[in-house]
Amino acid sequence: MIDFRNVKKSYPNGTSALDGVDLHVDDGEFVFIVGHSGAGKTTMMKLLLREEAATSGSIIVSGYNLTKIKNRDIPYYRRELGVVFQDFRLFPTKTVYENVAFAMQVVGTPRSMIKRRVPAILTTVNLADKMNAFPKELSGGEQQRVALARALANNPKIIIADEPTGNIDPRMSIEIMNLLMKINKLGKTVIVVTHDKNLVDYYKQRVVILDGGKIAEDRVGGMFS
Amino acid sequence: MRNEKKAPRGRYSVRFFLKQAFTSLWRNGVMSVASVAVLMSCLVVLGAFVLLVANLNKNLDNIAKLNVIMVFCDYDLEEGRAEEIESDIKKLSNVDKCVYISKEESLEKMKEESGDSGIYDDMTGENNPLCESFEVTYANDDETEVFNLEAELRAVEGVRKITSVYQTAKTIDEFKNGIMLVFTLFLLILFVVSLFVIINTIKLSVYARRHEITVMRYVGATNTFITLPFVFEGVIIGVTASIVAYVIEALLYTYISTTGIGDVAFVTMIEMSKIAVPLAAGFVLVGIITGVIGSVASLRKYLKS
Repeated sequence: MIDFRNVKKSYPNGTSALDGVDLHVDDGEFVFIVGHSGAGKTTMMKLLLREEAATSGSIIVSGYNLTKIKNRDIPYYRRELGVVFQDFRLFPTKTVYENVAFAMQVVGTPRSMIKRRVPAILTTVNLADKMNAFPKELSGGEQQRVALARALANNPKIIIADEPTGNIDPRMSIEIMNLLMKINKLGKTVIVVTHDKNLVDYYKQRVVILDGGKIAEDRVGGMFS
Repeated sequence: MRNEKKAPRGRYSVRFFLKQAFTSLWRNGVMSVASVAVLMSCLVVLGAFVLLVANLNKNLDNIAKLNVIMVFCDYDLEEGRAEEIESDIKKLSNVDKCVYISKEESLEKMKEESGDSGIYDDMTGENNPLCESFEVTYANDDETEVFNLEAELRAVEGVRKITSVYQTAKTIDEFKNGIMLVFTLFLLILFVVSLFVIINTIKLSVYARRHEITVMRYVGATNTFITLPFVFEGVIIGVTASIVAYVIEALLYTYISTTGIGDVAFVTMIEMSKIAVPLAAGFVLVGIITGVIGSVASLRKYLKS
C-alpha cells in the first residue's frame, strides 16, 4: 500500500516540485504516473525511493512512514521495492546471472538460495538462455529485462519503473510492458513513471497525471491525453 | 507503523568484500601504488623516530642507573688519609656504598678502556699521574638529595673534585623532549598528507563505482555493506605499506647497529630481535587505522540516504 497525504516538496532554491499531493495505491495495483517535464514525476520517484524527504505531509509505503523513518532503516525499507531505471544501470563486467545475483548478495542472501532463485527469475523474464551473456551482448530490450529481473531478485512487494521504455524501440517496449503486466498479475504493485502516451493509452490502466506538482487527474482505465 | 529494522536474511561473505577491494585496487593501480608509497614513507619516518627515542631512553636509563658520583682526592694525599676520607664519606646520610679506587686500579681501568696499554707503560709506580678516588653510590636519587650529597662531598677535606652524571642525564632528557616535540609535529603533518593521498585513492574508486553504489542503495544495501569493500581496500593499502616499511626499517636498523652508531663505545643499541614484534605490530596498527579512516572519510558523501 502506498499512501501520500498532502505531500509537499520544495527544494532549497525555492522550487516547489510537489504541492499537496494526495494519492492512494492499493496492493496489487498497476499505476501509470505521467506528466510533462517538470510536472513532479521525478520528485515523486525520489520520495518513493526515500532519496528525498517530503517537506510536509505524510508518505506511508508498505507500512513504513517515510516522513519519520530513521536513516538506518532506509535500506530495509528499500528491500520492499524493486527499481527499474531508464538507463538499465547494469554492471558491464558482470554476466546476466551475476547482475541479478548481485542484488541478492547485497542483502546477504545465502549462496544456495541465489543459485536456486536467479535462474527462476531469469525464466520469468524469458532470459534463461542468456544467463552467461554480458550486457553489451544483449539488445536494449533484453538489458531492460535483466534490470527487471534484478528488481525482482529480492521478491519486493512494489516495482517502481522509471521510464522503463525510454531507451528501447517500440516493439521491445511492448515486451517490457507485457512483462510488467505479468509481474503485476503475480501480485506485485507496479508503478510506472513515463511520458509515453501511446503505451499509457494502449494498456488502459490507472493513470495519475501530474501537472505543476499537483495531481491533475487520477482515473482507472484512463488515457494520457 | 513498521519503522523497526528487519533482521538480515543471510550472512555476508568476506570473500565477496575482498574480491571487490582487490578489483578496485587493481583498477586504480597508480593511485594505489602512490598511497602505499606515501604511507610507507610516513611509517619509516615514524619507526625511525620511535627507535631513536627508545634507544635514547635506554641509554639515559643506563646513565641514570649508575647512581654514582666519582670523588677524586688531592694528588699529595698523605698515607692513610684515604681511609679517613672513606670514613667521612660513609658517614654522609645519602651514601649507599663507597668503594675505594687506588691510583693503580685507576690506571688499570684506563688501560682496559683505551685498549692500548703501551702508552701507559711509563706511568707505573712513582710516575702514576692519577689520584686516589672513591666511587660513591647514592641511595636516594631525588634531585635535592643528590645536590646536597654533591655539596657535602666537595666539602670533605682532601677531596679535590667530584664528577656526577646526574646533570648530564638531565640535560639529555630535556634535549630529548625538545626533539620529541619537533618529531611529533613533523609526523603529524606526514600522517595528514598520507591520509589525504589514501582518501583520494579511495575517492577515485568510489567515483568509478558510483553507479554500482546507487544500485546497491536501491536494492537495500546497508551503509556497512557499501562501506566494507572500501574499508578492506584501505586496510590492504595500510597493511601492504606497513609490511614494506617494516622490512626497510629492520634492514636500516640492523645496518646502523652493526656498522654505524652501534660501534661507538658509550652507546648501546637495543637488539633488533627485542623490538621486532612491537615495531611490526605498531606499523600494521597505524597502517590499518590510516586505511580505515581514509576509506570512511571518502565515502561519507555517498552514504547519505
